[in-house]
Amino acid sequence: MSTPSGQAFETDFWKDEQLRKVWDQIIPGEPRKTIPYLLTLEAIQKYCRVVGDLHPLYFDEAYAKTTPYKGLIAPPAIHILLMFACTPADDWMRSPGTVNAGQSWSYNLPARPGDTIRLEARALDKFIRKDRLFVVHDNVFFNQHNQVICSGRGQTIRPA
Amino acid sequence: MSHPFDTIEIGTRIDGVPFSPTRESIREFCEASLDFNPLHLDDEYMKGSFGKTQFGGIIMHGMNNFGVISKTLTDWLYPLGGVHRRLETRWKAPVKPGDTITAHAVVTARKVTGQSRWLTLDVGVRNQRDELVAQGEAMVEFPVT
Repeated sequence: MSTPSGQAFETDFWKDEQLRKVWDQIIPGEPRKTIPYLLTLEAIQKYCRVVGDLHPLYFDEAYAKTTPYKGLIAPPAIHILLMFACTPADDWMRSPGTVNAGQSWSYNLPARPGDTIRLEARALDKFIRKDRLFVVHDNVFFNQHNQVICSGRGQTIRPA
Repeated sequence: MSHPFDTIEIGTRIDGVPFSPTRESIREFCEASLDFNPLHLDDEYMKGSFGKTQFGGIIMHGMNNFGVISKTLTDWLYPLGGVHRRLETRWKAPVKPGDTITAHAVVTARKVTGQSRWLTLDVGVRNQRDELVAQGEAMVEFPVT
């Protein structure tokens, strides 16, 4: 499968498993390797359809131009796609068995079709609680104008 | 002329549209989010245990809950001129194919700051058995134009 920006996307998350850092190797504060991603209208609408969000701000350009947004935008939660689109196959977010334990996101500007999105990401902290291995994530997405789209903090439970 | 913000009281409740994940919709979420974690794809893998947790089959992406909550907020906000500024969620129980989930939000606080107007909301997602599967907090802004 390839992404709308033409980059190959490996959908078998087992394939690069040996290359990924395990909990012991994750260093809080160390930047993760990321990849700029061209966000297309097709990718935005594909996401919108699967969550049942057919708002015309994401589908109807003529309507969107009449709103304060002055054109088509992506919904705030598009970072769900961007997190995987902007990270390489050996990124530890893909480790099979990774369990999402909670997230918080702040939204500044909407992403728009045609934006080239850049991610700055790192583990911020890691700890053991109730016999589980946790990592705290720190993520900020920017557009091609270096404006912040959104920033997020998440926790995952890492496979032992 | 009053602004919509002035009429929104603490306790105001917003109910979302029910969402019913299927094996196909979970697969489509993998394609749309590029999250191909086997938790959402591989029934054999999901027969195993994860620490103290056993799921017994594939589960919906937690972030699908997040997307459903976010949509509930934006559907309410766009016509009022409000902006979805923050969403924090925790997952309480897995969602499986065949479940029906519905998001809701309740305004818990109002705040006029030096330059803008804000609401804080408790948010949650319940399944068809009225079990809470996700909960959290949101902030929305009604900019002064």
